[in-house]
Amino acid sequence: MILLFVSLFTFSANSNAKSITLGWAAWDPANALQELTKEFTAETGIDVNFEFVPWPNFADRMLNELNNKGKTFDLLIGDSQWIGAGAVYGHYVKLNDFFDKEGISMNDFSPATVYAYSTWPKGSENYYALPAMGDALAWAYRKDWFDRPELKSEFKKKHGYDLGVPASWDQLYDMCTFFQGREIDGQKRYGAAINTERGSEGITMGVTAAMYAWGMEYENPNKPYDMEGYFNSPQAVEAVEFYRKLYEDCAPPGHSDAYMVANLDAYKSGQVAFQMNWYAFWPGVSKEDSDGRVSGFFANPKQNVAAATLGGQGISVVKYSDKQDLALEYIKWFARPDVQQKWWDLGGYSCHNDVLNSPSFPTSTVYAQGFLDSMGIVKDFWQEPTFVELMLPMQEAIHDYVVNGKGTAKGALDKIIEEWVEVFEADGKL
Amino acid sequence: MNVKKKFKGLSDKAVAWLFIGPSVFLLLAINIYPLIYAIRMSFTNFYANKIGREPQFVGLKNYIKVLNKEAIWEKMQVTANFMFWTLLIQAVIGLGLALLLNRKFKGNELLTTLIVLPMMLSPAVVGVFWTYLYNPQVGLFNYVVNFFYDFGSFDMIGSSELAPWSIVIVDTWMWTPFTMLICLAGLRSVPNYLYEAAEVDRASKWQQFIYITLPSVLPFLLLALLFRGIENFKMFDMVVELTSGGPGSATELASINLKREAFEKWKTGYSSAFAVILFVTIFGFGNVYVKVMNKIKER
Repeated sequence: MILLFVSLFTFSANSNAKSITLGWAAWDPANALQELTKEFTAETGIDVNFEFVPWPNFADRMLNELNNKGKTFDLLIGDSQWIGAGAVYGHYVKLNDFFDKEGISMNDFSPATVYAYSTWPKGSENYYALPAMGDALAWAYRKDWFDRPELKSEFKKKHGYDLGVPASWDQLYDMCTFFQGREIDGQKRYGAAINTERGSEGITMGVTAAMYAWGMEYENPNKPYDMEGYFNSPQAVEAVEFYRKLYEDCAPPGHSDAYMVANLDAYKSGQVAFQMNWYAFWPGVSKEDSDGRVSGFFANPKQNVAAATLGGQGISVVKYSDKQDLALEYIKWFARPDVQQKWWDLGGYSCHNDVLNSPSFPTSTVYAQGFLDSMGIVKDFWQEPTFVELMLPMQEAIHDYVVNGKGTAKGALDKIIEEWVEVFEADGKL
Repeated sequence: MNVKKKFKGLSDKAVAWLFIGPSVFLLLAINIYPLIYAIRMSFTNFYANKIGREPQFVGLKNYIKVLNKEAIWEKMQVTANFMFWTLLIQAVIGLGLALLLNRKFKGNELLTTLIVLPMMLSPAVVGVFWTYLYNPQVGLFNYVVNFFYDFGSFDMIGSSELAPWSIVIVDTWMWTPFTMLICLAGLRSVPNYLYEAAEVDRASKWQQFIYITLPSVLPFLLLALLFRGIENFKMFDMVVELTSGGPGSATELASINLKREAFEKWKTGYSSAFAVILFVTIFGFGNVYVKVMNKIKER
């Protein structure tokens, strides 16, 4: 009996010692990673437990965990904007020595993703994460509707150009209004499911897709944190006004607090001709359309410049973990080119050059070329340690203007700058 | 027996302390200490997420900032509107339902159980499923409203005019049964002989209501409204799930704003000052209210 107890205890102690916990958001790529990780466990004997948090609570849950120096997670796939806080407040382990020791070179990964997901200060050679999941905001459209001859000719007659992938936001608007309220197969359809969510980051991620395309800059390139005339430039104002117009004229009824899942639902249920969403969701959309007849995908359209909102995440080792060595072993395994190829094959978005530069990559899926195009033009929200403080006023002011119809676009952007100045002053940056 | 012996050696005062001690300890640890800590923090520029940065004393700066911020007053106004309408409607409907259920009729018990069901649900769950009910395309709410009068398509949550009403409706649906139950308890405590005497004096039903029922039930109704007022002043979960405080900030109650300042922006000093102001406000109102209520009771 005693022997049994001792052996049970030993077994449990051993199994605990050889397991790590990885935290990420609850979405399709997380399931793909779980599948991929089975190979890691088979190779190393290290069990990986996963804790996936729904997106609306993801930032709250994870950032609270880090701020409380929690030991729940050994590895964290955190949003790109968290890298500043992770580095400055010491939540993430600096990976430079580990990369040098294991021969992991950041030159093997797409430069845009290394810059966005791994470095702090931005562009430096201080690495706090390995690029794990490349992502950007893009669009899906109902190709089957676009291919209908009667709709094509009606559109051409009305607008003078072909109904197809929009080359600009203006064309996107034309197409959205064309479908808005139109009856197709006996059902009323709408233009586009766009981001309007108020609580976390939704509407900011959506409106910045337009603002970047209009050429908005957050700050004076020669004088950091000088935002006046940049963030609220006439182009930025025009983009925000345009986004409101898109919401008012093209969104389905009740789409006033919508983000990833709501956009996906509106699209899948056949309500809308377009949906704005992250590349991460395209494998799921594509899977349900095996012959590629129903859905098409394209990168964020250009207006004044080609640009797209950056999503995606890097994988970091949590400083408070007692199992940093096991967590680093996982990163070493994950960085391998063969594992990265499997990651892409399973529906994850690899950032490894061997995968992205492979001649077969652009045609490997219907959205692969769009992904490549997008990753070359991505722009991100502030990655400052205070990014949450910077995100919240933008969420409120933009939602107030776009959805609530209150005030002016210029007024909203001025208000955001006012709040941001306060945040930067409190942080000692101004 | 031993326990009995041990207690025999204790004075009445010691036994009293033994009984209230744990409660006092918990009260001090969970309520009083955090309150004092928050008051202390409210005079500093403390940010809970800025590790290693020592908070500095800033005097009344946070209080001045809160009181001078236009957005805070907007949130207070949203909260006041929400409280006024929910309390008014819940008082009227709650009292009406209590009067109805105070009569004996077949199915009374079943109806009472059905009416109190909403308040047994989790506010977060209520918030989530009302978002579906309010959906302009498939929601039952719009369908029912349009069944009676064709308003066309309207978006309760997405419109700044309708969104404040959307949270009032849900709160009323959920918590009117509470007001009703308290009023019902009051109605059942009214002695029958008062009505019999009134009948003898040839008082009409209306006069009986005004001079017997209403004065008897009023202290109960006021008590129910006090509880609801306190709860709605700190209302959070249902509204967050339903509207996230939107559109824009049309339904952002003071408590939601406080949570965002304290645990998303991590402005601990500033939000402590805001919390103290809210505490003083509700404590002050509560005290005045209880005094008025006691006066009514004494009459």
